[in-house]
Amino acid sequence: MNKPGRTLCLILMVPLLSALLSGCWDNRELSELGITSGSAYDWENNEWKATYQVINPSSGSSGMGGSGGGSTSSPPFLTFTVKGRTIMEAIERTNLTSTREMFFSHSRITVIGESLAKHGINQLLDLFLRKQDARETVYMFISQGDAGDILDQLMQMTKNQGAGIQLMIEQEAKLLSYYPGTRLYELAMALSSESGSAVLPEIRLTGPKIMDETSETGVTDLPSRLELGRLGVLKGEKFVGWLNQKQAFGLSFMTDNIESATIAFASQPAISGKPDASFILQNSTTSVRPVWAKDHYIMDINIKGSGVLTELGSVMDLNDRAAITGMEESLEQQVTELVNTSWAEIKKLGADVTGFAVRIHRSDRKHWKQIEKEKSWDSVFKEIEIRPHVSFQIERTGLSNKSFKSVQQE
Amino acid sequence: MPQNQQKGRKTGKDPVETSVPAPLPLNASLEVNLQEIGKRIGSSSDIVIRNFTNESLSSLSLTFIYIDGLVNADSVNQTVLQPLMENVTLKGDTITAEAAFSMIKDQMLPVGGVKEGKTLEVLLALLFEGYTLILFEGLQVALAADTSGWEKRSINEPTSQGVIRGPKEGFTESLRTGTSMLRRRLKTTDLRIEEYKIGQRTQTGIAIIYLKGIASEQVLTEIRRRLNAINTDAILESNYIEEFIQDGGLTPFPTIQNTERPDAVAGGILEGQIGIIIDGTPFALLAPSTFFNFFQSSEDYYQRYDISSFLRLIRYGAFFVSMLLPALYIAVTTFHQEMLPTTLLISLAAQREGVPLPALAEALLMELTFDVLREAGVRMPRTIGPAISIVGALVLGQAAVQAGLVSAAMVIVVSFTAISNFVIPSLAIANSIRLIRFVMMFIASTLGLFGIMSFMMVLLIHMAGLRSFGVPYLSPVAPMIPRYLKDIFIRVPLWSMTMRPKTDLGKETRRQGPNQKPQPAEGANQKSTEQPKPQGEDPA
Repeated sequence: MNKPGRTLCLILMVPLLSALLSGCWDNRELSELGITSGSAYDWENNEWKATYQVINPSSGSSGMGGSGGGSTSSPPFLTFTVKGRTIMEAIERTNLTSTREMFFSHSRITVIGESLAKHGINQLLDLFLRKQDARETVYMFISQGDAGDILDQLMQMTKNQGAGIQLMIEQEAKLLSYYPGTRLYELAMALSSESGSAVLPEIRLTGPKIMDETSETGVTDLPSRLELGRLGVLKGEKFVGWLNQKQAFGLSFMTDNIESATIAFASQPAISGKPDASFILQNSTTSVRPVWAKDHYIMDINIKGSGVLTELGSVMDLNDRAAITGMEESLEQQVTELVNTSWAEIKKLGADVTGFAVRIHRSDRKHWKQIEKEKSWDSVFKEIEIRPHVSFQIERTGLSNKSFKSVQQE
Repeated sequence: MPQNQQKGRKTGKDPVETSVPAPLPLNASLEVNLQEIGKRIGSSSDIVIRNFTNESLSSLSLTFIYIDGLVNADSVNQTVLQPLMENVTLKGDTITAEAAFSMIKDQMLPVGGVKEGKTLEVLLALLFEGYTLILFEGLQVALAADTSGWEKRSINEPTSQGVIRGPKEGFTESLRTGTSMLRRRLKTTDLRIEEYKIGQRTQTGIAIIYLKGIASEQVLTEIRRRLNAINTDAILESNYIEEFIQDGGLTPFPTIQNTERPDAVAGGILEGQIGIIIDGTPFALLAPSTFFNFFQSSEDYYQRYDISSFLRLIRYGAFFVSMLLPALYIAVTTFHQEMLPTTLLISLAAQREGVPLPALAEALLMELTFDVLREAGVRMPRTIGPAISIVGALVLGQAAVQAGLVSAAMVIVVSFTAISNFVIPSLAIANSIRLIRFVMMFIASTLGLFGIMSFMMVLLIHMAGLRSFGVPYLSPVAPMIPRYLKDIFIRVPLWSMTMRPKTDLGKETRRQGPNQKPQPAEGANQKSTEQPKPQGEDPA
């Protein structure tokens, strides 16, 4: 072959041959895709029961001719429930009922049913880490009862259910900090760490009925909504128990997961223990320091924070420094209590969701090796004593120095 | 003609099909000459032959020949016919042909250019340039007076490259107007204009214009060589020359710029490029040109440097959009759906719900439609313009979407691609991207983003290997010469462009003195120690 011809061939061969190396090979048209926005897994009769929420594109946007969507009769998503001995088998079985191939790259949430959480979730995590179009950034939830039901429930103000739930947990974690939003990779990391435990927020329905018809969403207040409930605790790969909202909040303080939070507290605990003031915690850092006290560990938990006083119901003059100090003490007292109740429950469950094992491994490697050798972490954990030190500062009190109540009384 | 073929063989070229005869010396007899001329050029109605003979047979006999339409009638009447016809001496019987010849030549023609011609070929060539021939009975030499003056278009605003600020005159079809416009802009003794006649049938005048000492001698020699090597019968537009002399016949990229603007040519010449003006077209050529020259507009230098830099960056962006957007759309929607934001994906999926065609076919359909519309827009009579835009916008945009033939997103992609294409100042490179875009679309539909990347690499390798008259096509980026980058991606302030940033072969001269940045006068700023210098003084 002559030289220019050979060069041309070589130039053409390079992209063609290297195309074989790439992972993206099959082309799929958009209309062949079943875009899953969320999936839920249950364990039923020794089989995987998977529920997939597939977005129904034509109801989502305004569609053809620009006639405006809004009140289309078709629901924004459809769900498929399939069973299989393995998860992939279940996924493949969706093709028996669906016109479209499941496409998981845009999946936002995964809900694990309690039944599955009790059976163990290792296989599920493995699938997510292995499969190429599965995303490790999905938010994980746990549900008491059938996880598939969660995905049937319609939400208002969102057409993409999965993204809606994701938004819910993200905003919650940002504004309230009751539960940390847990992504799949975080869950996998927590479960494979020294602690071997993790928490997952519970998602549940507020009402007994599932709102799964589009006509039912045409009201301003749904009788049943999705709600973040408790915090599920996993140890190893299995579910061991729940933490209630308060305990979850305390855990957030212990694990430094507070972004910002609103705390209701008693402004004058000496007069009344009833919360009558609000405080927005804007910065909070927690440092945990393990100390070996001969036969058990003591965890020094230092919680520091600052924020704004936003609401005050009692008679008080804020020009008085002592008044502020009093409120700060009341706040600190309340958080210390939160942490203590939380710890009591965690200790009872025996799952190291606080990540103490990691702390001890880092600060006292010699001792950790011994614990590891003796496999005595569980008993060591049960012996741990915590010493929370909370120090909060009210940095600003807003525009008014006196509470309205005191102004009125003058 | 056998002689012509022989000539062709001698120079080693294929003879061009044309009937150029061997040079024929003039005959002493006027009659014979006129017959020969008549045989050569036939009896076309625009050829005017006037005999000037006295009643007395022994006296002088002259014949005027000119071509109506190529000459300025006033000029012929006033400068040739009138003086000669009214002259008493010529009317007399005694004057000989030789005496009359020298008298007319030296004294009686108030015309700038008077030439002598001894062969028929020379004279005919002059005749076709608008000269008036004066043939004498009994002489083997004739006179030709420059009376040329054909109808010319007046100088108008360039239609293909408009500016908001800057000169609004463009070249016309006349070669001489073009050279005069450049001469007016570059009043320097270094300006050189070399003229060639190319095309055996058209004898088109071609001028190469350059600044001596700034244009590279190597490039000049190369351009002269390539121009001299052209052996064709007709040159009707600058593209004929462009195709005959440009490098890399198989590249989609242009290596010679064309422009309608004299200021752009002047700017190019000042940076060492060589301008080529072709008679009969308002489009002049500039060579050698690099890839980045096609993104520089003369208006870049007529507005502030910050806005020029911004616009230039936008142009590069538009270049990539115009080349890649449909391909990216195809690749992302058929291979890499995970790259799209979910909301966009759902919206795209909803739009594509009813579309019967795969993404590639959809894109091809719309792209081809646009090219048809565009072609129609160029060809159609001006008055039909609104009709075409209604058909284009309503029928093809709105109706095609409503009919479910294409998705609305595709219409957006195609329109943005098309509009981006018009941002690029040079039509030459904009057109080459139009072709590359289609290849890119096919590759994207088979190999996805991966294919796009591979093809981009192939293109880049190709461009890096390309030369324009010896200048690397991607210089000064590849090979990288950092100090020449001042006018490539952005345009730095004029006062900081001290050196000519030429991509030429080693020509670099100082454009202006250093320290041209305006500074407050002495006293206004205590720190300034520099004395204001008299103009023209160069501290270096």
